[in-house]
Amino acid sequence: MFILVLVQHFFISRLVILHASADILVVFIAFISMSIGQRTGTTYGFVSGLVMGLLSGNIGMSALIGTVEGFVAGFFHVPEESHATSVKKRRMYYGAGITALVSGNLLTALLNNPLSLPLYVRLLEIVILGTIMSMLLGALMYRFVLQKLLRD
Amino acid sequence: MLSLFRRIAKYTAYLYFLLYCGISIMLMQLQRKETLDAIKERGLSMNASIAEQISSFTGIISLRQENEQLLLQNARLFSQLMHQQQVLGDARSIQAASAGAPAWARQFRIARVVDRRFSATDNMLVIDAGSSQGITRDMTVLTPDGLVGRVTDVSRNYARILPLINNDFMVSVVSDSSRTLGLLSWQNGDERIAHMEHVPVSSSLKVGEQVTTSDYSTFAIRGIPIGRVVRISKDKLFCNIDIRLAVDFSSLSYVIVSPAKPSREKIEIMGGETGHKAP
Repeated sequence: MFILVLVQHFFISRLVILHASADILVVFIAFISMSIGQRTGTTYGFVSGLVMGLLSGNIGMSALIGTVEGFVAGFFHVPEESHATSVKKRRMYYGAGITALVSGNLLTALLNNPLSLPLYVRLLEIVILGTIMSMLLGALMYRFVLQKLLRD
Repeated sequence: MLSLFRRIAKYTAYLYFLLYCGISIMLMQLQRKETLDAIKERGLSMNASIAEQISSFTGIISLRQENEQLLLQNARLFSQLMHQQQVLGDARSIQAASAGAPAWARQFRIARVVDRRFSATDNMLVIDAGSSQGITRDMTVLTPDGLVGRVTDVSRNYARILPLINNDFMVSVVSDSSRTLGLLSWQNGDERIAHMEHVPVSSSLKVGEQVTTSDYSTFAIRGIPIGRVVRISKDKLFCNIDIRLAVDFSSLSYVIVSPAKPSREKIEIMGGETGHKAP
């Protein structure tokens, strides 16, 4: 997780398009929440938010956003004993990801406005564009890494 | 009571969520406190150090380009150094030529050899001093080691030298110990060896004696070193004498042009000509 935090902070977050960038941490938190559980996902979200906040200098808000992301993604949790198919797991993974991203980006757009952008710009760019970019990253992660972990 | 615990256990995720949200909001509120500032500062310094590492990594990637620039700079500096060394060498040569010359040579002109033609038969030198520098025909050309030749043609800024190692060149010489007189000439062949002619077999000349210009010369003052006797073989009437020349013509770069000449009155009374064959 800490490696992902570093990757996110030093590489991915620098690839900005229209004030929005992809977020690999949310994808990771969504995956944890979906596969392990809401409680663990919330904890992971909180801790990763803290670490990100340490690096960015905005500890409280980062932690809060991470917590919310982990918590909302937890509603898509697929328990081990449910013997869900890989198709369902994939569907839940994307659901968890989109929900976490939208809620996280929405909070970011509302709470954080360092460039003094108008609210509608923030909502459009950060929420919509940020979610699309992150989901593309999530799809890539699923295709090359997570798919093997979510087999039947 | 048990059901309460069960209900709490069922919703622990909500409790965690509330707890973390509470902590986060508290952190947001306390963000301006000193402790948090210190933590924030520590985090930022960590951030800076990692960013520095990353930038040093990218520096390694651009190392090749920097290397090429340094090599180019190095080449420029090297060419400048070469040029300066050349200039310094020239200055030393001029200084050495001036310092090694005899006292009466202070008034001499120093010139650089700018062209040369060396072959088995026809040798010639060109120097970068001409009539505008006071050079005239039949002046003596020498180095601190000895005689080089005589000026035959003069232009405004250049002069042509007939060197000692030319078939047309002759000069009257005398040995230092036995005072044997003779006529020095050079035939085709070794550029370091000339021949002393008209020395009778009765002469007491010995190998190793130094030979200089004599009073009989029509263009050179007496006493200019020529070389040293290295071989004497006797013929019917005259000796065949080889002289190893003092001047190394292969490495000749600077010469001294002497304005000192024998008395014109002496030359006239001798009936000598200043042509090439004149000794």
